[in-house]
Amino acid sequence: MTLIETRRQAPPAVVATDLTKVYGQGDAEVHALRAVNVSFATGAFTAIMGPSGSGKSTLMHCLAGLDTATSGTVHIGDVELTGLSDRQLTLLRRERIGFIFQAFNLLPTLTAEQNIRLPLDIAARQADEVLFDRVIETVGLRDRLAHRPTELSGGQQQRVAVARALISKPQVIFADEPTGNLDSRSGAEVLSFLRASVRELGQTIVMVTHDPVAASYADRVVFLRDGELVTELAAPTPQSVLDTLVRLEA
Amino acid sequence: MLRTALAGLRAHRLRLLLTSLAIMLGVGFIAGTFVLNDTVQAGFAQRVTADAGKVGVAVLPAKAEGTIPREVLERVRALPGVTDAQGLIRASAPVLGKDGKAAGNLPTTALSIVRGPLDRTDVVSGTGPGTDDGAAVLDENTAKAQGFRIGDTITVLDPGQGRHSFRLVGLIDTGVDQMLAYTGAVGFTPAVAQRMTGAKGFAEIDVAGTVTKQAVAAATGGSYKVKTGAELADDLARAAGVETKMFTLGLLMFGVVAMMVAALVIYNTFNILVAQRTREMALLRCIGATRGQVFGSIVLESAAVGLLASVLGLLIGYGLAALTLTVLAAFDAPLPTDAGVSLTPVTIGIGLAVGLAVTVCAALLPARSATRVPPIAALRSQPEERTFRAGLVRAGFAALFLVAGLGTTGAGVFVLEPGEASLFVVMAGGALTFLAVLILGPVLVRPLSAVVGWVPRRLFGVPGRLAVDNSGRNPRRAATTTVALTIGVTLMTLITVVTASTRLTMTVKLDEQFPVDYLLAGQERDSVIPRSVAEELRGRPELASVAQIREVEATVAGKRADVGTYSGGIEPYVTAGSMKAFGAGQVALDDVTAERLGARLGDTVTMRTRHAGTVALKVVALLDGNQSSLPPVTVAEQAFESYFGAVPDSRVMVTIADGVPPERARAVVDAAAAPYPTVQVSSSTEVRGQFDETLDMMLMIITGLLGLAILISLLGIANTLSLSVHERTRESALLRALGLTRPQLRRMLSVEALILGLIGALVGVVLGVVFGWAAMRAMVDGALFTAPVAQIVLFVVLSGVAGVLAAVLPARRAARASIVGSLATG
Repeated sequence: MTLIETRRQAPPAVVATDLTKVYGQGDAEVHALRAVNVSFATGAFTAIMGPSGSGKSTLMHCLAGLDTATSGTVHIGDVELTGLSDRQLTLLRRERIGFIFQAFNLLPTLTAEQNIRLPLDIAARQADEVLFDRVIETVGLRDRLAHRPTELSGGQQQRVAVARALISKPQVIFADEPTGNLDSRSGAEVLSFLRASVRELGQTIVMVTHDPVAASYADRVVFLRDGELVTELAAPTPQSVLDTLVRLEA
Repeated sequence: MLRTALAGLRAHRLRLLLTSLAIMLGVGFIAGTFVLNDTVQAGFAQRVTADAGKVGVAVLPAKAEGTIPREVLERVRALPGVTDAQGLIRASAPVLGKDGKAAGNLPTTALSIVRGPLDRTDVVSGTGPGTDDGAAVLDENTAKAQGFRIGDTITVLDPGQGRHSFRLVGLIDTGVDQMLAYTGAVGFTPAVAQRMTGAKGFAEIDVAGTVTKQAVAAATGGSYKVKTGAELADDLARAAGVETKMFTLGLLMFGVVAMMVAALVIYNTFNILVAQRTREMALLRCIGATRGQVFGSIVLESAAVGLLASVLGLLIGYGLAALTLTVLAAFDAPLPTDAGVSLTPVTIGIGLAVGLAVTVCAALLPARSATRVPPIAALRSQPEERTFRAGLVRAGFAALFLVAGLGTTGAGVFVLEPGEASLFVVMAGGALTFLAVLILGPVLVRPLSAVVGWVPRRLFGVPGRLAVDNSGRNPRRAATTTVALTIGVTLMTLITVVTASTRLTMTVKLDEQFPVDYLLAGQERDSVIPRSVAEELRGRPELASVAQIREVEATVAGKRADVGTYSGGIEPYVTAGSMKAFGAGQVALDDVTAERLGARLGDTVTMRTRHAGTVALKVVALLDGNQSSLPPVTVAEQAFESYFGAVPDSRVMVTIADGVPPERARAVVDAAAAPYPTVQVSSSTEVRGQFDETLDMMLMIITGLLGLAILISLLGIANTLSLSVHERTRESALLRALGLTRPQLRRMLSVEALILGLIGALVGVVLGVVFGWAAMRAMVDGALFTAPVAQIVLFVVLSGVAGVLAAVLPARRAARASIVGSLATG
């Protein structure tokens, strides 16, 4: 059995069932998510797309346990998020979830290496030095480890953030517009690393983006509109993603 | 997590420094006080230990004023093992200054200078008198003040006012003896000292040799205190140190105020830091930091700041103490300043503990609010501005404290008798009220900034309007910032009001009590003025009235009391009964004495007299002790004469006739007093002048000490502003992009600081005036109240100016920031 086949048979990394999120009350009530059912396969790179206000960020926050859903359930692996205490959620994030944000990814006071090791430091866990080397090699930061974030370019900063997300071997990495603040070349680099980490390290990644090119790096794209899952695309290209988006906007 | 917290500190060295400055100054002050105290105490100990080495056993009178008769000395000398025993004489013998009047306000103390191993005199220049009965030594300060040098002839009065001349052969240091520091000291051979003072016995017997304390005690009988040399040294050092302790306590109170202000500054700084690092905290929470870890990292950060600041504070304290000692030494203060200045482990411990505890405690609440940051905040692009709502709980607590505070104060002012107890009650009320203000602060800020900002809003256009809005934008932060300043201004105003009111009250009382232009009196309150002086003055046309008062000590109703009489026109201030037809067999008591003797109007009290045996006196009048200048126990003039004989006057009070220039009247009075060296002439203006000087001095010292608290609160304003500027980088850039010029931006921040300063000052002034009034009422019965408006306005203006000064650097930084760069970074 090949590696790919093994993963195909593994249970999904993240499953959302009838996920609903309502903000406000009465007249001001806004349905950010309307009974969304979606699952994300282990070892796959999935992009979530949709027009502004479609609920893609809210979906990600609920999946990552940063926000609580109004109803419905979320499973990360075999753990159900609903009803977990703040402390349990924190430990879950620490053990099973990695994050990559659009901006303000790094602590400005720590060096690149310290930033990368931060999740392990917080959990008081020993780093897997083999993995550390491999991650550093993959993101190409060997000669930048002693630098502070301000001494790094935007692309390099985001690569540090990717490395930090990978180092704790999380069950799933959530990336929120990871290329939003980068020029196209740096963006392409970061996306390549994300894809490489899925292929080579077997990492599961869920990425929110509104850039069709970024989405084309993923194995699969799911589309949201007005808080509902409307369609999805396997093996996307920039063109097929763009076409789908245009259709949705119409 | 440890590394994260420490790295954060390292990266923000400047911020760290500014934050720690507040604690540094506070700890420095407290540590400095301790170092000063330690050094002075060590100096006292050093000196007395050197002395005590010479003395094996010392015999002292049981009562402070008592003496030891000569035969006791003989008994001690006869003991086996005694190699030497010397009696020390110590009693008054006024030294005359070059103007022929007794030097100083108190008669000089004469000492016997013994020879041999028991000589404890510290001769600093020249020699001791040795066996030369025509020689004398003076203490350095008296010699300096009177302009005497070695080789000069000095004149000293004997108990019969006879003048004796001595050659000044040396100068002595009075060491740790505070009494001698006040009176001055003149030293003679033992025989001369005995003659010049008329002392009936010794003030102390020093014994050298192998004899034991018990043996000496057995020989002297039970009526004397017997101590070993070491015990004597301990007692001397302790007695000398008592005043230093009081002084230290006083200084520490200011240290506590400074630390309180510093705590507010730290609290505010950490609050702002936490607010600014919301996203950093959220990021940590996202990648798995628990609430406990976030809390721990803030507390750790504060501990690091506190520790560093305390260490630096200790150094500052050491420097401050060394500086103060140098200054004290330069001014010849009667304190030992030559002991090595050192930081004792106790000082280090207290300094570190106080600094650390205050910093960490002040950071606890901000640390708790840091744990409330939700992880999702890491994903928001703009940190939320925290809105403030005046909750019911806050209103309830504030009302509770306010009612309790004002109630307590009211009770202190209106219910209790003026005195120490009511002052403490008023102080407690003040503290409670202050807590209410602290709680209400955030609610008060917005309306106050609207009031204070009325002028700037109209004067400075858009920047002014924005500044006024900004000052009330984060009421909690603004309130804490201004409260730090309020503490200083409140205390400052309070002290000013109390001083001014005291001055007014005393001036009015002096005018009532001292309705005379000149007062003639001896150095001590004994009767030394020959009656001829008053009689001579009475004949002079330059003077309108001359009144005499005579006093002796006698036993009245079984207790010692000053009994006296008066002649000439004196207003007696009768509160009950009457002094009309005052004659033999009658007595007037002042209210305090009446209470002490347990006598009421109409009662009969007995008095033992010198010439008429025990007499019964009927209390016919009670006098107001605060106002009356009559003796506490007053009898009629003729009766006094028959009881105690022809006692000389103790005081003569003189008023000038209308139209006579004061200089001429003064010349007349001085001429009459000239033949009597111990009779000193003072004028009411002189007394008032001395009083004013003392008050001014006190006000100056207290103002200086409170200055520290104000300085710390200004650091707080600077810190708050620079952090707010940092927080509003983007907003400032937006304003600049919309066309606000750099000077306008700078002005906006200056006005904001001005408003914060003014709010703090106004609240402080109101509290200060109210509690100044309450304190006056609580301290003195019938106190008059005055608020020195000019000074108070000055405080407000200075607070505003200081606020603007505190804004200079933050405003510069804000104005310098590039528009594009600031807009880009969120």
